[in-house]
Formats: sequence, structure tokens, C-alpha cells
Amino acid sequence: MAHQAHAYHMVDPSPWPLTGAVGALLMTSGLAIWFHFHSTTLLTLGLILLLLTMYQWWRDIIREGTFQGHHTPPVQKGLRYGMILFITSEVFFFLGFFWAFYHSSLAPTPELGGCWPPTGITPLDPFEVPLLNTAVLLASGVTVTWAHHSIMEGERKQAIQSLALTIILGLYFTALQAMEYYEAPFTIADGVYGSTFFVATGFHGLHVIIGSSFLAVCLLRQIQYHFTSEHHFGFEAAAWYWHFVDVVWLFLYVSIYWWGS
Amino acid sequence: MYYKFSGFTQRLTGAASSTASPQGLRSNIPSESPTIVFGTPTKVVSQSSPAVEYMGVNKVPDLQRIFQASDEVPIHLKRVVPDRLLYRTTMALTVGGALYCLVALYIAAQPKNK
Repeated sequence: MAHQAHAYHMVDPSPWPLTGAVGALLMTSGLAIWFHFHSTTLLTLGLILLLLTMYQWWRDIIREGTFQGHHTPPVQKGLRYGMILFITSEVFFFLGFFWAFYHSSLAPTPELGGCWPPTGITPLDPFEVPLLNTAVLLASGVTVTWAHHSIMEGERKQAIQSLALTIILGLYFTALQAMEYYEAPFTIADGVYGSTFFVATGFHGLHVIIGSSFLAVCLLRQIQYHFTSEHHFGFEAAAWYWHFVDVVWLFLYVSIYWWGS
Repeated sequence: MYYKFSGFTQRLTGAASSTASPQGLRSNIPSESPTIVFGTPTKVVSQSSPAVEYMGVNKVPDLQRIFQASDEVPIHLKRVVPDRLLYRTTMALTVGGALYCLVALYIAAQPKNK
């Protein structure tokens, strides 16, 4: 077998980029077909394909790293760069929605009554459920750090318990937020206030669900002995993502919930 | 002797150390898996008191043996039966879905008859 003259991991040929791309095609055109012809077949097919692609692609990465040992220090460095760059791109994504919020709220138009919150909008009390949500996410930040230290110190039981607690807190946040959405006195259709509120908090909620899922996969892997005290990058990536989600919430809470009321 | 890419000088430089060589690509890998860092947890299980391990037994060394078998099979098909089933299902949906999408878009592009 020929040796390569570099430290990078050249992966086996894989069909998942193709299936993922077709999945994206099916989801986007499926959306258009749903809007115009009321059929959700194409959209559903795209979603199934996306889920299958994600499952198999990430399963293969776990096989390459944990079972075949390809994630050497230089390779892991590349993975770290990748995760950091991805999270940075997500920061810019949210920056856009915060821009939209501040654009509309710093100089409210006469159509809104020249004030923020606009006339007729009763905002949510920031010191009720939103404050509880803040406490829940901050606590989950503590438990995920506890989980990390447990993994590094080889404390299997504590790692599993603290990681499970982190996920439970994430689900608790999602449940509370869903209840808030249901009970809110305003909707997404209520002018620019409704739009900025629900789009920004809605995308954040989606990221909480994604982060909780990522942590859940890490919990399964921790139970199955995939992580060692020196090498557990999958968990670190999940923890970075979770901290990012937490920080976005803090900005949302201070800007939209607190200052915006 | 392997080459190492220096990110600072943007050049290949010699690296005699073995840390640059990825595992799994050395031709002298024995058929049994060597003691890899990933296999065993830091605390050896026999040293901890409970007779039964907490939440299941460590199957990683067995899986490492399966996946490191040099049989030229790509990673996404290494476990044959479940992998092949999932791959074929996914590919069928991919090809079928792509064709269905093109047909749907062709129909959608037809002008509405008044």
C-alpha cells in the first residue's frame, strides 16, 4: 500500500454528498410545489433523504475516527477549524436578524405609532418565563462543562449523568418556549414586531433542538465507550455549539425580550 | 521520513517523527488491532469495584477489528447487510426522487389552460 506524503485523511469514495445534494434539490422544489400545487410528496421525500444522508454520513465519520483511528492530531486540528468556521457562519446568520430587529426598533415608523413596542402590541413580561428560560440555558452551560471535565477525568458515570441532565434542560427550554409561543398575545403576522420576534426566537429554538440532538448523539457515544479522556472531539464540538446557542439566547433576551419591551 | 506541511512557511518540510503518520495507513499493521488510545477508557475497568460495568460493556475493540479489516470495502458498506440495505434504499430514493422532481417541475412549468 502506498504511503501518502501528508498527514491529512483521504476518505473512501462516498455517495452521501450526492444524496445530500439531491435531498436539497427535492426540499427546495418540494417547497415550491407545495406552495403552488398543495402536494407535500416531494418535500417529504427530500426530508427523508436529508435524514438518511445525515445519519449515514456522520455514522461513517464515527467509523473513520473511533474505529479506524484516522483522526490523528493534524486531522483533528482540521476538524476543529471546521467546527469553529461553521459556528462563525451561524453567528453571521443571527447577526442579520438582530440587524433587522434594531433597524425597526431603534427608529419606529409612524405606522407603528412612533414607539417600540408598537401600538397595540403587549410584549411578554421578560421577568416571567423568559427569565426562567435564561436560567435553564445558563444551568445547561454549567452541566455541559461538568460533563466535559468528567470525560477528561475518566468519570464514566458522572459524564453520563451530567450529559443527560444537559439534554433534559435543553428539552425543558424547548417545552417552555413552545408553551410561550402558544400563549403569546401576538403572532408572526403582527407587523414588524411579530416578524422580528418569531423569526429570531424561532431560528434560535431550531438551533436549541439541533444542539440537543447533537448532545444526545454524544450521550449515546459516551455510553458506548467511544470517548477517551484524551480524545473526544465530537463532544467538544457539541459543547461549543451548545455554548453558542446559549450566548445567542442571552443576546435575544437582552435585546428583544428586555430592551424591546 | 514523512513530509509535514508548515502552515507558517506554506512549504513542505521533513518530519522524522511518527506523530505525522496517520493510523490505519501504515503497511505494517498486524491483523489484530494494536492498543489504540481510543479503545480503552483511562480507568481500567478491573480496578473499579462494580462487577458489572455501568450501562453496558465496551464493544469498541471488537468494532475496531471489524472496521480495520483490509478487505478494500469502502467505509459506508463495511458492515455489509445493514449498510447495503440502507445504501440501496437511499440511492433508490435519490434517483427516483430526482426523476420525480424533474417531472414535477416540467409539469409545473406548463402554462395554465384558460
